[in-house]
Amino acid sequence: MPGMGSGAFRLPEPVIGMLMLLPAVLLLLLLTLYPVLYGIWISFFNKHSFFPQQTFIGFDNYIFLLRDPEFWAAVWRGIVYALFTIVLQIMLGVATALLLNELFPGRSILRAIVIFPYVVPTVVAVIIWKWLLDSQFGLINYLIEKAGLVDQSISFMGKDWIMVSLIIVSVWQFFPFVVIGVLARLQTVPEELYEAAKVDGANAWQRFIHVTLPQLQSVLFVIVLLRSIWMFTKFDTPWLMIQGGGAETYIRTLPIYTYMRTFAYYEAGLGSAMAVVMFIALAGAATLYFRIWRREEHL
Amino acid sequence: MNRSYGLLSPRGQAVMWAALALLVFTAFPFAWMATTALKPSREIFVTPPSFWPTHVTLDNVGRLFVETRFLTYFRNSLTVSFATVGLTLLVSVPAAYSLTRFRFHAREKIAGLILFTYMFAPIMIIIPFYVAMRFLGLTNTHVGLILAYTAFCLPFNLWLLRTFFQTIPLEIEEAALIDGSRLQAVIYVVLPLALPGVVATGIFTFILAWNDYIFARVLLSADELKTLPVGIADLYNASVVDWGMIMAAGLLVIAPVAAVFVFIQKFLVAGWGSGGVKG
Repeated sequence: MPGMGSGAFRLPEPVIGMLMLLPAVLLLLLLTLYPVLYGIWISFFNKHSFFPQQTFIGFDNYIFLLRDPEFWAAVWRGIVYALFTIVLQIMLGVATALLLNELFPGRSILRAIVIFPYVVPTVVAVIIWKWLLDSQFGLINYLIEKAGLVDQSISFMGKDWIMVSLIIVSVWQFFPFVVIGVLARLQTVPEELYEAAKVDGANAWQRFIHVTLPQLQSVLFVIVLLRSIWMFTKFDTPWLMIQGGGAETYIRTLPIYTYMRTFAYYEAGLGSAMAVVMFIALAGAATLYFRIWRREEHL
Repeated sequence: MNRSYGLLSPRGQAVMWAALALLVFTAFPFAWMATTALKPSREIFVTPPSFWPTHVTLDNVGRLFVETRFLTYFRNSLTVSFATVGLTLLVSVPAAYSLTRFRFHAREKIAGLILFTYMFAPIMIIIPFYVAMRFLGLTNTHVGLILAYTAFCLPFNLWLLRTFFQTIPLEIEEAALIDGSRLQAVIYVVLPLALPGVVATGIFTFILAWNDYIFARVLLSADELKTLPVGIADLYNASVVDWGMIMAAGLLVIAPVAAVFVFIQKFLVAGWGSGGVKG
């Protein structure tokens, strides 16, 4: 193959390839990998978030976290939040994908509408639901009161309900991700498999369990992994739920606690230590994801 | 599997009811936002609430433009988002081309590195990123924010573009190479074929930058520099919540997203195949 230029001097092909890749790799190294390494470095310091002073304190930040009940409470809240949102997203997402794989009038429009919540800014998703769930003028409180389900309006941003409200908003916002993935996979399932199952006398539920589900196994594995990473590190949805008087401590997950320690208490070192803990926990998951992806691609 | 059956069969009816429920669940919240934005205040807080406004008004939009810095935020968001799209495409198009067309040492390792950085959530890099930006004097500038979004979008961009370039057959390019240089082959043959993919990637990047809250919250403090998500969140934090105005703001923020969404929603599946848009 000829090289890039037409002159007598030509760069070898691999060199051209590497030069084209260089800016992107440099940016990735500088803007992502370097911050991560720098974050690990400052996690060993007592470091103010704004001022340059720093003192080396070894593993003290990590030891502090191990003994900090609020850290463990935040980990626990994060697990509850991630677990409920993921299970609900998967159930709703798979059901929706199965429905959208059927043939009915308006299907393509509905496909687009269903995906839409995923592409709007989180702040919009949150204000919409805060308005719907408002304790005084919210539509949902009006409807459940009128239906006689409750005597008194529910304070959805209060301590008893804010986690539930947060889970509702998050599922609404993120289940389209599951729909897209599962729908893409469903479209490649050969029709013959269903025909064969029908001939064998399988009903709809049995066809789902024995034909559809095995086909979805690999895509669901990837979805669960990605959604686990992203729900466990989700910052903006819970943070914006708290704004304007939400029961803050009841949805203070690890990302919220990390942010608070760094930007409200100015403890950048401690905040970084928490980010490192999240990173280590999730790096394991990422490695696993990478292996799965490789296996898929080599099939 | 696309099976068709009568709409009046029990199965057909079940499908239609389920579709209706799904429509209400996903679309109604948006519709409620839209009608609230068009209601005068006295109608917003009336019991029983009505869906359609009896007096349609643009009063809320007017107040948003006059009493807040919404238009400044809007302009900031546009500037930052377009600059991010430009910068990421400038570096990721050649890089993705290189990843699919050249054989060289460490190529697979670099591809692995890209996928690895794709896993990073903003909260994991925001603190050191902030400290580094402060050191460089780039906090409270749009440049710092654009760099942050580039870092955040680049892995996904590269991955998506790589899939698009992989679908362009090498033979077409090789035919062009016989007649001219590689640069000509790229400009006249490869890029036109890759254009839909490049545009889709650009739109994904635009949406990610347009929607972001955390980077803008942390990196910007001057009010006149804020982008829309932060500006709107601050409107909500005011002592008295002006629901009509906030719903109007929400409606205007999603308008550009809705406009491009029509174009990209078919690409979402392709995007998913390469790992999926972060969120």
